[in-house]
Amino acid sequence: MSRTCETGSEFVAAYEANLARLRAAGLDDLELGRDSCGVGCIVAIDGRPRREVVEKAIQALKAVWHRGAVDADGKTGDGAGIHIQIPHDFFREQVKARLPENGRLAVGMVFLPRNNFAQAELCRALVESEVLRFGYSVLGWRQVPVDTSVIGEKAQATQPDIEQIIVGNPRGVDDDEFERDLYIIRRRVEKQALAENVTDFYVCSLSCRSIIYKGLFLAEQLDNFYPDLSDPRFVSNFAIFHQRYSTNTWPAWRLAQPFRVIAHNGEINTLRGNVNWMKSHETRLWSPVFGEYNEDVKPIIQPGGSDSAALDNVVEVLVRAGRLLPLVKTLLIPPAWSNRIAMPKAHRDLFNYCNCVMEPWDGPAALVGSDSRWVIAGMDRNGLRPMRYARTRDGLLVVGSETGMVPLSEQDIVEKGRVGPGEMIGVDLVAGRFFRDGELKDFLAGLKPYSKWVEHITRLDRLVAERPKRFTTFDRAELRRRQALFDLSIEDMELVLSPMVLDAKEPVGSMGDDTPLAVLSKRYRGLHHFFRQQFSQVTNPPIDPLREWRVMSLKTRFGNLGNIADEDPSQTRILELESPVLLTSEYDALVSYFGQDLRIVDCTFAVEGETLKDALERIRREAEEAVREGARDIVLTDENVNRERAPIPMILAAGAVHSHLVRQGLRSFASITVRSGECLDVHYVAVLIGVGTTAVNPYLAEAAIADRHARGLFPGFTLEECLARYKEALNQGLLKIMSKMGISIISSYRGGCNFEAVGLSRSLCREYFPGLVTRISGIGLTGITNKVLAQHKRAMGEAEPSLSIGGFYRYRRGGETHALEGRLVHQLQHAVATDSYQAYKKFAEMVYAQEPIAIRDLLDFNRILPPVPVEEVESITEIRKRFVTPGMSLGALSPEAHECLTIAMNRIGAKADSGEGGEGRERYQPRPNGDNPNSPIKQVASGRFGVTAEYLNAAKEIEIKIAQGAKPGEGGQLPGYKVTVEIARLRHATPGVTLISPPPHHDIYSIEDLAQLIYDLKQINPDAKVCVKLVSESGIGTIAAGVAKAKADVILISGHVGGTGLRLLSSIKYAGTPWELGLSEANQLLTLNRLRHRVVLRTDGGIKTGRDVVIAALLGAEEYGIGTAALVAMGCIMVRQCHSNTCPVGVCTQRPDLRAKFEGTPERVVNLMSFIAEEVREILASLGLRSLQEAIGRTDLLKQVSRGSPDLDDLDLNPILVRVDPGPYPRHCTLVGRNEVPDTLDAQMVKDARPMLEDGEKMQLQYNVRNVHRAVGTRMSAYITRRYGMDRLQPGHLTVRLRGSAGQSLGAWAVQGLKLEVFGDANDYVGKGLSGGTIVVRPMVSSPLVASENTIIGNTCLYGATAGRLFAAGRAGERFAVRNSGAVAVVEGCGDNGCEYMTGGVAVILGPVGDNFAAGMSGGMAYVWDPEDRLAERINADMVIFQRLEVDHYVAELRALIEEHARETGSELARRLLHDFDLELPRFWQVVPKEILDKLAVPVRRASAAARIA
Amino acid sequence: MPAKMMQFVSVEQRQPDKRPVGERTHDFAEIYAPFTPDRAREQAARCEQCGIPFCQVHCPLHNNIPDWLMLTAEGRLEEAFEIASATNNMPEICGRICPQDRLCEGHCVLEKGFRSVTIGAVERFIVDTAFERGWVRPVRPLRERPESVGIVGAGPAGLAAAEQLRKEGFQVHVYDRYDRAGGLLIYGIPGFKLEKAVVSRRIRHLEASGVRFHLGVEIGRDLAFAKLRRRHAALLIATGVYKARELELPGRALRGIVKALDYLTASNRKGLGDQVPAFDSGELDAAGKHVVVIGGGDTAMDCVRTAVRQGAKSVRCLYRRDRANMPGSMREVQHAEEEGVEFIWLAAPEAFVGSDRVEAVQAHRMRLGTPDASGRQAPEPVPGSSFRLPADLVVEALGFDPEDLPRLWGVPELAVTRWGTIKIDWSTMSTAIPGVFAAGDIVRGASLVVWAIRDGRDAAAAITRFLDARAGAERQGRPALALAS
Repeated sequence: MSRTCETGSEFVAAYEANLARLRAAGLDDLELGRDSCGVGCIVAIDGRPRREVVEKAIQALKAVWHRGAVDADGKTGDGAGIHIQIPHDFFREQVKARLPENGRLAVGMVFLPRNNFAQAELCRALVESEVLRFGYSVLGWRQVPVDTSVIGEKAQATQPDIEQIIVGNPRGVDDDEFERDLYIIRRRVEKQALAENVTDFYVCSLSCRSIIYKGLFLAEQLDNFYPDLSDPRFVSNFAIFHQRYSTNTWPAWRLAQPFRVIAHNGEINTLRGNVNWMKSHETRLWSPVFGEYNEDVKPIIQPGGSDSAALDNVVEVLVRAGRLLPLVKTLLIPPAWSNRIAMPKAHRDLFNYCNCVMEPWDGPAALVGSDSRWVIAGMDRNGLRPMRYARTRDGLLVVGSETGMVPLSEQDIVEKGRVGPGEMIGVDLVAGRFFRDGELKDFLAGLKPYSKWVEHITRLDRLVAERPKRFTTFDRAELRRRQALFDLSIEDMELVLSPMVLDAKEPVGSMGDDTPLAVLSKRYRGLHHFFRQQFSQVTNPPIDPLREWRVMSLKTRFGNLGNIADEDPSQTRILELESPVLLTSEYDALVSYFGQDLRIVDCTFAVEGETLKDALERIRREAEEAVREGARDIVLTDENVNRERAPIPMILAAGAVHSHLVRQGLRSFASITVRSGECLDVHYVAVLIGVGTTAVNPYLAEAAIADRHARGLFPGFTLEECLARYKEALNQGLLKIMSKMGISIISSYRGGCNFEAVGLSRSLCREYFPGLVTRISGIGLTGITNKVLAQHKRAMGEAEPSLSIGGFYRYRRGGETHALEGRLVHQLQHAVATDSYQAYKKFAEMVYAQEPIAIRDLLDFNRILPPVPVEEVESITEIRKRFVTPGMSLGALSPEAHECLTIAMNRIGAKADSGEGGEGRERYQPRPNGDNPNSPIKQVASGRFGVTAEYLNAAKEIEIKIAQGAKPGEGGQLPGYKVTVEIARLRHATPGVTLISPPPHHDIYSIEDLAQLIYDLKQINPDAKVCVKLVSESGIGTIAAGVAKAKADVILISGHVGGTGLRLLSSIKYAGTPWELGLSEANQLLTLNRLRHRVVLRTDGGIKTGRDVVIAALLGAEEYGIGTAALVAMGCIMVRQCHSNTCPVGVCTQRPDLRAKFEGTPERVVNLMSFIAEEVREILASLGLRSLQEAIGRTDLLKQVSRGSPDLDDLDLNPILVRVDPGPYPRHCTLVGRNEVPDTLDAQMVKDARPMLEDGEKMQLQYNVRNVHRAVGTRMSAYITRRYGMDRLQPGHLTVRLRGSAGQSLGAWAVQGLKLEVFGDANDYVGKGLSGGTIVVRPMVSSPLVASENTIIGNTCLYGATAGRLFAAGRAGERFAVRNSGAVAVVEGCGDNGCEYMTGGVAVILGPVGDNFAAGMSGGMAYVWDPEDRLAERINADMVIFQRLEVDHYVAELRALIEEHARETGSELARRLLHDFDLELPRFWQVVPKEILDKLAVPVRRASAAARIA
Repeated sequence: MPAKMMQFVSVEQRQPDKRPVGERTHDFAEIYAPFTPDRAREQAARCEQCGIPFCQVHCPLHNNIPDWLMLTAEGRLEEAFEIASATNNMPEICGRICPQDRLCEGHCVLEKGFRSVTIGAVERFIVDTAFERGWVRPVRPLRERPESVGIVGAGPAGLAAAEQLRKEGFQVHVYDRYDRAGGLLIYGIPGFKLEKAVVSRRIRHLEASGVRFHLGVEIGRDLAFAKLRRRHAALLIATGVYKARELELPGRALRGIVKALDYLTASNRKGLGDQVPAFDSGELDAAGKHVVVIGGGDTAMDCVRTAVRQGAKSVRCLYRRDRANMPGSMREVQHAEEEGVEFIWLAAPEAFVGSDRVEAVQAHRMRLGTPDASGRQAPEPVPGSSFRLPADLVVEALGFDPEDLPRLWGVPELAVTRWGTIKIDWSTMSTAIPGVFAAGDIVRGASLVVWAIRDGRDAAAAITRFLDARAGAERQGRPALALAS
């Protein structure tokens, strides 16, 4: 009998052993954790220390526990901590004997190795000797009292020895100097400890001003673990607190926050680029205050930290170097400024200056920090983390992720606000002054004459305008020869280049990528094919580059970058361009601008007599010499190709030069400009920039455009316009690629290698693309040389080369192999139509006979067990239950095809996924013939279309689609012509109007947000499991662990080959990785973290045979998605025109005439599933296994049988085959039922409302509420829906009155009949998915606040609401009413991105709106009261018109809503507006989507109204 | 300019206009009028631009059909021509005579429900336009190579190979026993399907490209095979199959029973202005006669429609299976029916009746038996179902077999299959004799022109590889044959 759990120390030992095994297998760059958190601070604005500050901070931590994660033992948290002033009285007493009267002291909080006394002693000695060396005294070490009983076993197993060193200041220097010296001391000690190989040494803080108490306990245990904190002498004028939610379970004490200056809730998406650039900045970083110790502070970024720790390192060095903390925040995390319309010039100039100095650390961030003089709280440019604040009458500022964390008396609050995108508030503790965002920016802008300084910036576009135009051209023969050299095909020209010019956009396509991985292909594949785009999922959100472009920027700086510690006008002497894409005329201007300071490096190599490696060394040497001689721009070009010289693949050249200059510390001295012939599409440009290029001139693409223009293929455009359009398409594409991983700024993206290599040699990556993740190694210089030379020979040979026809995007004979070729399609359809297993087997044999396409094609079964008779293997019926048809929406699929799949899967007890877009009520009941068309899995995607309480309650499983294989990190769009009456009904939209699914879920910006959504969904459906759909990429193991900790029941790992109905070709082709990689990594890390047995793993992506299924099982999956093959079984013939609505077989179209062509039947789908299951049985028998369960995770039954082409360096699949020891736990999920979440207030409410639920009585209930009460009203709505349906009770049948601050997701999916009244305020996600309920939020009657000037509800309210009403007497946060499709709401102001993607309902905003209002709004209507006339500069009018109210019908509607608002909330403002209604009416705007203008029953324009009546 | 493709949802299929029956049955001109440029564009734009272009998959030449359709729709005919001719040496001929309904168009995803794109007609339009505008330029290899290649047979396989080999710079000599080049294209296929000027245009193009024709030369009679081999570095046998299959039935010796190819050749020669005594004598002229054609393939269709044009009193076609199971193109049947031909399905001849000349065909009804494993139903006679058809002229169109080349040419080492076709290694297209290659019907048996072109191209590529290897070996100073094996 094996034990079923392990102790903390066993876990730690097993973890380390497993990790060593993974690393030995080549997974040495495995990402082990990401974190995200609750953060906040309490400040006494007058700067006087108070005990209350510390107490309130401890209280606050107790109220954000739900933002952290708890391990299975219920005690091990991911870490929490507090940063406060040093309580000098307390410490003086500790050392009173040795401290002179009034002597200053400093305290260091130190983690020492616990079980290694020698090492601990060594560390103490190191610290002491440095302290003494600087002339300070050691007053003693103090063993910090801790109560280890409150921490979990795992935390105990790794707990360090926690000690404090108390340092005296006998030199009597002032605190500034003391503090700086302490910083240098600490940096020196840290380096020495590393040199001594002591890794367990960590200094939390060493300061004469402040101290940090942190550790691996649950937030609420902070003061129990550290009894010090309960000492009344612990007083402070500020307290920064932090609670961490880590995706892994490894107990890492040092990663608990706060750090030395900041506490950070967020994720730095550009970390790799930032770290690289810091290396370059370091070379010339010099500050007079560090004097002779300037080198001691380097390297600035210390190894082993998290992204937050790295950011803190940089913040700290800049602060210590003398920059003001608020300015450092602005420098590192600036607001968006380059596109924004409304902003004072002084602010813009300040940000422009910052841009000259440094590239931003980009990513979602709520940042709180203090250098003991300033306390700041700031947000990233997108405002992707919540931050609310309250100021009290007695001068306390409370800032935190949630309102209500610290109970404050409403009477005492004089201001309630929130920190918006790019905003920052601060307190100057010395001056005792509170700065709101605008005030703080005014203050900073006034520090130096930034406006004068930025006049030095040279703008390249101005230089271009002054010069004659030049275009790159070649005669046709030469053009062809060069195109052939770079393997540009006719397909590239027609399908990629031509649309980029004609539409100024990237081309689109549909379905998945079924061509071989580049490393497996027999054909020439450019190096860019080996780079897979990375993308955001779960731990941070992607951005919408179309609707939210204002926050993004492609601004590119050239030349020599200065010392980041300086602050002088020399830093602005740079050349600037709006985009990194250079046309030839811009390139010419660049050349003439730099003159002598520009060096051209020839990136070709001699076919005879020079190796590629030699050539790379040569260009590195030339570049280095050039920079050392003072060059400020290096041009890498492959123009000089000819019969004797072949091109160095430009990506390789750029990576080689960039990485070399970084290593030499020279990169910031010069920009790198590339002229590439191979560069055609946006992915190529992105890779070039990602590996460090400053700007790219795609000269051959330019010549191709010129050639086509000359042939009259771009009628109506001048050549200049054509090129501009091509450039625009590239720019838009770059924004898309960056936005996918949540990056807004190209200067932070540059050099970040934000890709994952699939099939590039590990050593090649290390040499030329350091930081690039590569899992399975692959092609190296030899293979690349062979491919380039073969291509060179073909193109430069005797005969005139012709362009190949292509075949990469669509099958062409002689082109790339495709997994589903014509004969396979026919064979499969024949098999399922005739119910012939023999025919299916032939299909499978044909599949296996293909050239390798996927990683699994290199694997074979390792039959080490004696086979068993097939009869002993579990039945087809059992196996089929594990099959799933992945989410394909009704909207993409025709209704016939969608139902056919569902019915088929229900017949065999398998699962069909509804896809995004809702499902009609009529499908929730079985048909008269017994067929059940109700999809067991209901998808919740970012559009939230049709996601109602009823829909969710009809599900057995709810799938949160975070990403999709064909387009991870991107949203979707259902074009208007596909929105039929039926689709519009299901999606609560207007027929014919385009529907947009945003790239992110607007309620998931971080892992704790996902946990919240899972919580909400488990409230609205008390039985359904929750699945989270992810797409394979490196780092997915970490994400999966976080998702498991968030209490998901199923995790789906999708491969990159997944299909889509409409997407950019570059996304289909270049984003995401094969599921074999992601699945194995997820399985390994879940096992490593002891989470595997708590969650089901599912995978999909090109699975079409029994062999695929068994391999997936052996790699760790329990359930298997079969998508494209199921479509083919129903008649799909891979026409790949899903996006055109012209599917000739009626599978993927909404046109009635084409739908009529659908010939699929459930029987065919059942046949397919049965055949696959039967093949699975045969394979299992041959493997000696009796069930799929036995196969799960058995990678020892797999072996690699092919290592790809012989000229590869190595193609080593061991990383995916290495097994992690699961300890006492099974390798598969043992979960029965689902992972339950804690109850909320509803548990009580449901008890109290029994008469209503059972007998239908009308009731009123009343409670106090706190922010820890989340999703109030949701579980109640589930019961109402199940008992009475979603819309059958009268509104207000059950009224629940709440006092206090309601937690997140107040009234999520509340249904008709339920009314929630809050007296106080509420947090984020109020009315998420509102399905008919009514929510009223109003201040307490006793509050002295002017409601309309203060924030009352948080971010992302009414997201995906379909019906119901919301009245809030105060302002809402960002993204108010985002993707609302039916709710009616009145608020008194809102933050940025209000009414974004709205498709229905009415929003009345009685107050200021933030930036980008109504972006992507395609339905519904908004009214905005705008007394200051600011809407015009705030609105995003791409999809809407705004006008004064012209038609009485709408005036009446508006008035009625304001009246209702006044009645419900007692709003003072509403009352005033009604009183002066006629006077105020001209100050109202009506915002109407353009697409519905001609579809409204009552036109909004007087003229058209009259016409309609006439 | 970009064309909106996928117009099949709003634009119906319209083949080029067919000339009215009353008009077309009086001459031997092609029955389809050419597409107008607008019509060609409109029809090309119907293409769905599939992810898997089944048209290409099922084309023996793997023509890049969606690509040239798109270019046609965009009015970029010269580029369309380049792409069409990159995979096909005589696209205008395939566009006319390929049974598209069984190949590309038959597999077009639009065929079911919307009717296919008019691929053949567009192909013909593209290339005819190219000839008109002078885009079809003679082959000018970058470098002339000294090796010469002999090709026996100036039919589609030989001609395709000849052009491909010229592109590589080889010296190409084509031998044919007939007095004109073109093989079946010139003498077999009637003008109403393929006007002879179209064929001679191609021949002129090849001549201009440097292909040298030796006409009226029959190997084994006028020129010994051994001599031919010595003359050339490599040989390609592409003679086609000419031995007509015959019915062993009573009355077979009666006059008035002719072989399809003799009948068609006479008609074609007549059309070309030659003196044809057997036609002038009426022996091979259907004028005023009751004609019965036996067979259901494309040759039979050519015969019945030729007979109509010659002024036959009646034309009947006898075939032992039914319409659905005939080997010929459905479109041809339709044309023939329009032109007044009567089809008698499920009927097979038993005997020919007459004293000196044939007067009638005695036939019996057939029925299709139960399907065999492959699904094919063998026909079997229905007992007691005999009937008679009056006939003044009977044309036997029962297919062709290869002639006995090893015997005729005196090369016993030339291995053949049991069907008499030449045995080759398909990966090298090489016969049992090193340096001698074979392609077309003589290898695969009677088949389509498009397959002959495919084989000719494959053979040319194989010959190039062979000669490259030999040249390489010679440069290295090694004996050539070591590599050739």
